[in-house]
Amino acid sequence: MPAALDPPSDESLLARYRNGDGASFEVLYARHRLGLYRFLVALSNKAELAEEVFQETWLSLIRSASQPQGRASFRTWLFQIARNRLIDHWRKHGVHNPLHDSYDEQLHVQPDDSASPEQQLSLSRDQARLDAALQVLPEDQREVFLLRLHGDLELPQIATLTGAPLETVKSRLRYAQQKLHRLLAEEVPA
Amino acid sequence: MIDSQHTPDPNDELLVEHFRQHASGEPPASLDAFILAAAHREAPAPVPSLWQRWLQACQRPRWQMAFATVAGVALMIGLVLRSPVPQEKLSSPASMDFSADRQEPAVAAAPPPAMPAPAPTTRIAPQGELARAPASPMQSLAEKSAAKMSKSAPAAPPSLEQGLMEILRLREAGQTKAADEKLLILHQRFPKEDLPARLEALQKSAE
Repeated sequence: MPAALDPPSDESLLARYRNGDGASFEVLYARHRLGLYRFLVALSNKAELAEEVFQETWLSLIRSASQPQGRASFRTWLFQIARNRLIDHWRKHGVHNPLHDSYDEQLHVQPDDSASPEQQLSLSRDQARLDAALQVLPEDQREVFLLRLHGDLELPQIATLTGAPLETVKSRLRYAQQKLHRLLAEEVPA
Repeated sequence: MIDSQHTPDPNDELLVEHFRQHASGEPPASLDAFILAAAHREAPAPVPSLWQRWLQACQRPRWQMAFATVAGVALMIGLVLRSPVPQEKLSSPASMDFSADRQEPAVAAAPPPAMPAPAPTTRIAPQGELARAPASPMQSLAEKSAAKMSKSAPAAPPSLEQGLMEILRLREAGQTKAADEKLLILHQRFPKEDLPARLEALQKSAE
């Protein structure tokens, strides 16, 4: 039983906004603005495009009377709207949708010889190097990792959002993390 | 079967946390302001509560008419069905156990409808004063009219004995003519009586 002082859930805030409580939207927006924005920037790799999709996503939520369906959480629903908007943008501008590439993870598996605990604790803290490592990832792996990173979504939620089998999502995340470890590992001074 | 109980690898979580700590970038302030302004501008109108909706419905003219009609009909039904206090109750046998002293002011306070209303001082007058005064204007009026009738009514004709005594008195006074007229009248009233014989007997008894 939730305590009386627990913050209201995303779903209740959205319901209150739908009933005319404008302040509830501000709370909802403050909770998710950073994660959604960084997800879109990292996925599209273009700040302007990310801002455009970010704005369209929130305006769509404001003007729509719909709610998250079934057992989907508000967070999953929000990131799904943003992802669909980005795919629509790519289609509209004739950009090949990299998320729909068939990708054989096995072909990209490389031995992760550098995943020792010492090297894991000495990952690069250079922002440019982190961004570069993300862009090196295949699109499918990057999307799953970014949804886990910025959306704080669980793997079943990511599977629902992307429409991919859970096992596929698991393998994509595992390969992405192995690659990132390898790319970001710094040599530990002897 | 989908493995919903995903247990993340601690090393993987460490990597995710590392990226989170070094993540940067946020939406421009102008974009924030635009979205929040749109949210406030396009927020749905607050849904009134059941009580507020009922009040709003009451404020509409057609509903006001409806409620006023219902209230009027209810008032009329209440007035029609309300049994009036019977007038006989004030003087019914149920009130016979009241003493005469208690009934008297009650009668004074409730005059017949045709008569003018009594002065308020009559109602609050003490019982002794009421006892001395006429019970009601109607009662005093009845007494006055009875007195008038007693004055204007003709005197009852004298009896045979009185008539004979009057004749004897007139004869002794020397008014024989008047005495004869009285005798004639008396004879007409009592044709079967032997008036001269009774006159002689009366005169003898008087002597």
